[in-house]
Amino acid sequence: MARIRRLEISNFRSIKSLDWAPSAGVNCLIGPGDSGKSTILEAIDLCLGVRRSVDIADTDFYGLVVTEPIVISVTLGGLPDELLSLESYGEFLRGHDAATGQIESEPRAEIETVLTLRLEVGPDLEPSWLLYSERAQEQGLERGLAWKHRAALAPARIGNYASTHLSWSRSSVLNRLTDERPDLGAELARAARDARTGFGNHAGAQLAETLQVVTRTATALGVPVGQAQAMLDAHAVSIGDGAIALHGQTGIPLRSLGTGSARLLMAGLQREAAQAATIALVDEVEFGLEPHRLKRLLDSLGAKDVNLPLQVFMTTHSPVALRELSGNQLFIVRCEGDSHVVRLAGVTDQVQSILRTDPEAFLAKSILVCEGASEIGLARGLDQYGVEDHNQTSFFAYGGAYVNAGGSTPDLCLEKALVLRRLGYNVMAFIDADKEPTPGLLATLAAEGVGLLTWRAGRALEDELFVCMTDAVIDSLLGYAIERIGRDDVAEHIRSKSEGQRTLEAIEAERAAQGVYAAATRELLGRAARVSKKGWFKSVSAYQHVGRRIVGPQLQDAEPGFVDVLNRLWAWTHAA
Amino acid sequence: MPPELDLFAVARGSVTAPAGCGKTQLIADTLASHSGSKPILVLTHTNAGVAALRARMARAAIPSSAYRLSTIDGFAMRLVGKFPLRSGVPPHVLELANPGQDYPAVREAAAKLLQAGHITASLRATYARLLVDEYQDCNAVQHRLVAWAAEVLPTCVLGDPMQAIFGFGGNRLVNWQADVETQFPPVGMLQTPWRWRLAGTDDLGEWLLNARMLLQAGQPVELQKAPAAVQWVRLDAATAEEQRRAAARTRGRNAQDSVLVIGNAMNVRGRYQLTSQTPGATVVERVDLVEFIQFARTFDLTGANPLRQLVEFAASLMTGVGAAGLLQRVQVLQHGRPRNPPTPIEAAAVAFARGPSLGEASCLLQAFARQPGTHVYRPEVLRCCQAAMQAAAGGTCTFYAAALQVRERQRHMSRPVARRAVGSTLLLKGLEADVAVVLEPHAMTAQHLYVALTRGARQVVVCSPTSTLTPHGAD
Repeated sequence: MARIRRLEISNFRSIKSLDWAPSAGVNCLIGPGDSGKSTILEAIDLCLGVRRSVDIADTDFYGLVVTEPIVISVTLGGLPDELLSLESYGEFLRGHDAATGQIESEPRAEIETVLTLRLEVGPDLEPSWLLYSERAQEQGLERGLAWKHRAALAPARIGNYASTHLSWSRSSVLNRLTDERPDLGAELARAARDARTGFGNHAGAQLAETLQVVTRTATALGVPVGQAQAMLDAHAVSIGDGAIALHGQTGIPLRSLGTGSARLLMAGLQREAAQAATIALVDEVEFGLEPHRLKRLLDSLGAKDVNLPLQVFMTTHSPVALRELSGNQLFIVRCEGDSHVVRLAGVTDQVQSILRTDPEAFLAKSILVCEGASEIGLARGLDQYGVEDHNQTSFFAYGGAYVNAGGSTPDLCLEKALVLRRLGYNVMAFIDADKEPTPGLLATLAAEGVGLLTWRAGRALEDELFVCMTDAVIDSLLGYAIERIGRDDVAEHIRSKSEGQRTLEAIEAERAAQGVYAAATRELLGRAARVSKKGWFKSVSAYQHVGRRIVGPQLQDAEPGFVDVLNRLWAWTHAA
Repeated sequence: MPPELDLFAVARGSVTAPAGCGKTQLIADTLASHSGSKPILVLTHTNAGVAALRARMARAAIPSSAYRLSTIDGFAMRLVGKFPLRSGVPPHVLELANPGQDYPAVREAAAKLLQAGHITASLRATYARLLVDEYQDCNAVQHRLVAWAAEVLPTCVLGDPMQAIFGFGGNRLVNWQADVETQFPPVGMLQTPWRWRLAGTDDLGEWLLNARMLLQAGQPVELQKAPAAVQWVRLDAATAEEQRRAAARTRGRNAQDSVLVIGNAMNVRGRYQLTSQTPGATVVERVDLVEFIQFARTFDLTGANPLRQLVEFAASLMTGVGAAGLLQRVQVLQHGRPRNPPTPIEAAAVAFARGPSLGEASCLLQAFARQPGTHVYRPEVLRCCQAAMQAAAGGTCTFYAAALQVRERQRHMSRPVARRAVGSTLLLKGLEADVAVVLEPHAMTAQHLYVALTRGARQVVVCSPTSTLTPHGAD
């Protein structure tokens, strides 16, 4: 089954240059808007599609520079016998080493024999589809693929063209399911003629006045039309390509199915025909589909099939789709400097776990990787405070996302941050400082440009809150804790963390008598607030409340060192 | 009719095919019943062999999509040319400017390319199976090449060790038993002498199969026990030449019968002389047309005496040129006071002498050939020469270049053979006629003798002092 082993693009639309080795199965392209995902699909379609000409305009050239030709090279492996033929294509056969990804100029034992098809468009906008090999170019040999071979390779475009595929048009998948063809040429022509006769002169009555003017003018000018008539134009009702279409039992054409249904059906048929068309293109795979149908579509495209029945190129903006995919089906497209880069997300533990917990992160530009729910809640609460009370732009609006590292240790968080950074994201890690991270890991992060937010040495978030905020804020925090988990539990945590030395009542009395919380009390409350099982605020929503309602509005009076950390958080999440 | 052997059942094997036993028919029948989507690759040795096979397949109306025909060397050239890097052959070698070294280099490179497995996938994708004809004519490298191809394609080789006569010079041929049958296990031997059965001379066919067995075992063949179709001309030392000349004029039982006269391989000049003296006979030419190419290279219109060159060349192709007399007459016509007006030939010769050109040369050759009573006994050379002269007369290429082109074209055509043709076993192998005349059997090895005896379908005439033909020791 034919597979694209290598795709090279130059000067096509937003892509100056790109060199990518796709996987043999599902290739889900993600990346920030305008990163060139759809252009990649379009390039494959232009190069491999069955067409004799293409509509290329100056605007399809990178930077409108038409003097640099558009070149799209697709190197195909998994070739059927006809394409491996020494006689037809011997001078063009090349080798592809799957282990190194290198293409060699001639086939070699132990590596795969491949063919490179190249679409080139110069300033004259005339496309040429030719096979490429180094030796053929040296010898000045020019040859394209035979038409029937191109037809066999043509990718199936599942999407806006569903209506093409739901009728027996030239490029329809229906023609690939079996060898049957409708042969109704004469029948259709007769039907068209009957329509013309049947319609007769009905329009004539309604257009009598216009016809009169035409007749008069023609006569006056000596143009011999006689009495002008308004009749059905036989050409306008020409019934040709695609006239025979699929209809449901009730006679409704299947192309009127909902977008989702049509796409699902198409994908299923495509897979049925995969013996012939083995490459499918799907732009915006989630378009028009509820999550459960999206999952069905992905299944029918072979997302979970180890035999890789189809090579699929798709784009998506849907976390639902991502959650269904594996890291080796996910490719991140980015423009870096002059060239586009496509990176495989990969199946590291970090990627797989983020795909399950926070798939939307992969669709973001900037990612705040938090050690746990507390940090996420706090950051989201502060963001919300800025948006609602100060009319600031939200981190989400800047293309930001949060990842919950699910953290028992800070290292886990740092490792995820590093993996995401290496995939090209703008990443900040947000960890507690009560446990030491591995120093080597910290150094690597710094070297690779991952930002780091953490508290002063030895402190956790709760320590900082109870030590650094004003007494009034501590009142609110205590009050919110009591409201959330109940007075008994709060009292119990204080008692146990003080080894029976202090009680909630005593602390309340101290605050009432002295007007402040003593330093030792603040330190005790910090420890009590983060008891391991029933932490006072340990959930995204609780900390979001803390950030939004308590810390945000009263941050200005807090201890400067603490304020500084949160200011850095704000600055990073709001640097567009 | 189904083929005598089912070659589709053979994954790797060899078929021994005695002369006239339907080898080509077996190939044709096999191709005719082939129905896969990929063609069968059929290899043989010479371009003439390819042309003959192609004509045969066309006659049998076998669709050309069912097979690909090529010489082994042509196939090797194409493989190496398509994969220059893996073959490691520099491009100039493929131009074959130095055939003596370049052909072996190309064969060697192709064998190694196949051995390395670089093109295994595409070779398997291209052909359904491989048949190699005239396998006894393979040399060691060609044999290796085919054996490696056979690792990829189901392969059957066909040939006859008793017809292996091309092993001369440095060209060591495969040994059927030691080399071929060890690589390609025997799957059968063709045993029906179709050539003779169709001619109504079954007994001759059977006798030849028996003779083949004797010769293969190194034993002599006895003419006296032969069927009537074998005619022994008992040579007498005193009249041997005369008897041979008479034998060369043998008429078949039928006036239309074709005759192949097989002379001494060593004595080319003698064969030409015999041909010129035998009415209606023509020479079977070597594919390299060596004398013609030699003439084309040396023929110099601006030289000292192009007329002499041309006239002497004409005299080597036909009778009645009278070279010495004509040259003298031209002297007189040009510079003296001729008493008689020139004949048309003399006029053409003078015209050429005055303004030597290829056009005039061609006219003169034509004038010679049309002269009543002239016997053009080397018509193929004359035809090639005329074609090359006309091609070069326009001035677009030299006569020599045109000659090489004509020869190349000739190489790819099946050779039409005159009704009475004279040659040697090497030249006549692959040809057949109604009557074969073997002039000097005593000088032949067992293989040459077998090839000679099997050229005639209706009648064999053997000139020998004794009735026992003892093959000459191996050459």
